[in-house]
Amino acid sequence: MIKMEKTSFDQEKLKTELLTINMGPQHPATHGVLRVEIKTDSEIVAEATPYLGYLHRCMEKHTEHLDYRGVIPFCDRMDYLAAMNAELGWVLTVEKMLGTEVPERAQTLRIMIAELQRIASHLMFFGTYAIDLGAFSPFLYAFQDREFILRLFEELSGARLLYNYIWLGGVWNDINDEQLSRLENWLPELEENIKKYHALVGENKIFIGRTANVSIVSKEMAFDYGATGPVLRGSGVDWDLRKKRPYAGYEKYDFDVIKGEGLKGTLGDCWDRYYVRMMEMHESIKIIKQCLAGIEEGPVMGKVSKIVKPPKGEIYLRTECPRGELGYHLVSDGTKNPYRVKVKSSCFTHTSMLPDMAPGLMIADFVAAIGSIDIVLGEVDR
Amino acid sequence: MHSTWASYINEKVSGASAVVNEVEAGDQSITVDPTHLKAVCEALKNGEHEFNVLQVVSGVDYPEEQIIEVNYILASFTKNTELILKVRLPRGDENNLPKVDSVVSVWKAANFQERETYDMLGVEFVGHPDFRRILCPEDWTGFPLRKDYVVQEKYLDMVVNPVHKMNIGEREFGAKHTHIKGASTSVKNYTVEAPATSEDTSLN
Repeated sequence: MIKMEKTSFDQEKLKTELLTINMGPQHPATHGVLRVEIKTDSEIVAEATPYLGYLHRCMEKHTEHLDYRGVIPFCDRMDYLAAMNAELGWVLTVEKMLGTEVPERAQTLRIMIAELQRIASHLMFFGTYAIDLGAFSPFLYAFQDREFILRLFEELSGARLLYNYIWLGGVWNDINDEQLSRLENWLPELEENIKKYHALVGENKIFIGRTANVSIVSKEMAFDYGATGPVLRGSGVDWDLRKKRPYAGYEKYDFDVIKGEGLKGTLGDCWDRYYVRMMEMHESIKIIKQCLAGIEEGPVMGKVSKIVKPPKGEIYLRTECPRGELGYHLVSDGTKNPYRVKVKSSCFTHTSMLPDMAPGLMIADFVAAIGSIDIVLGEVDR
Repeated sequence: MHSTWASYINEKVSGASAVVNEVEAGDQSITVDPTHLKAVCEALKNGEHEFNVLQVVSGVDYPEEQIIEVNYILASFTKNTELILKVRLPRGDENNLPKVDSVVSVWKAANFQERETYDMLGVEFVGHPDFRRILCPEDWTGFPLRKDYVVQEKYLDMVVNPVHKMNIGEREFGAKHTHIKGASTSVKNYTVEAPATSEDTSLN
């Protein structure tokens, strides 16, 4: 008979410690060059610290040496998936300072373009989020529809990603009737597709299992961190700048503000943030349809002097971008260069929420959490 | 609106000396005394005006007046209002950075925003829980958004802004650049002579 000896170690004196793992900077789930240092207790994340700056180009410093028109391409390069919206914000800021009048047709065109860009950006979110969670094919579906929008933008501006299309006083290039009718004919197809995608992914049992009740952002936490856009609306707050503080003529359009309702789990979980973005695309289509119905003939550029010199003063203007509110704080000293431009980036704000969102999640769920706030590192680092 | 807020601040926090800055264009703002900043922020957040969101902390450097201005842009999502709250700090020097109380305990959003302001303008936020650089590397020297910032020549044995990687336009712009009188500008390095044409081709 084998005699069992007593184990030589004392269970109570066994040491356990947290394991430090580096996620990124090159990691497919961090949506760019973000490094998150996570401390894990086996599979559970105990602590997460984001390290930023890998894409830092000091855009704010560059603006000191540029004229007001020259800043527009730099705005493109912040959030490269929603360049039109970033341009629009900057142009509106300067125009408000100058008191420029924008022709009717250009205003309609701007809103149409901004909403198309919103759809393109949300489609990108839809595709990459599915990849984060392990489903590859939705990415390909999303890119089919995104391609139509990018082709249209290419015809209008000459570029597929970084456009420099919205200029002070209007837009650079007019849209023609053929493009308008092509867009009009395509919209019903897009609407059908988005419904299909939502049925395929959003209602999928595995997807719901991965996102519902994961990484809940309460209303109080969202306000405390200054979250905006789909992240704030996902927590059930009815806040959309296009409705609450209309800019660029949004007050003329009829659409609903989508907010999370906790349909599949708790209010403010990853599924709610996904849901807000998917449903927002339908609202954007509504706005585009109204634009197409209401677009008038006329010029697309207003009168702006060759050298732009806004009066001395400062201004803060924010607009609703696909990822949240993008604000520009502009200090002008009356010369042709801006004295100081500060960009309020929603992605930067949302990244600061990660240390509070992470504790208690599995590592794979942490990937879902990063994906659900939909950050673009170009805008985080600027 | 701004005068209401200013009188509210003065009433709640004695010594805050809130003043409304009238401007010819753009937005109005309110300047308060830096030593009472935290109390002012608490009053604005918890009081009747409900500024529940800190949007951004934005620093501006005024070398001629020897002042760094820190703007706290607040927003109320319940009353749909916006306010630029300013504090003006003496600019100090490398060993004696301008100091102001941190407001992280009021809004958590201030955490990253204050770190960025320190990184870019060298303002020290007293009482910040995790105070270090955020966008630049930890061992970077200087504060890029100060108007007299000069790019360091070398960082970890790598040449910053090597001559052959600049185009003629940048060099000419740098030579002409006189944004601020009396202060060396950030583009000082750009004033270097253009390399000879033969050298240019070899580097390409």
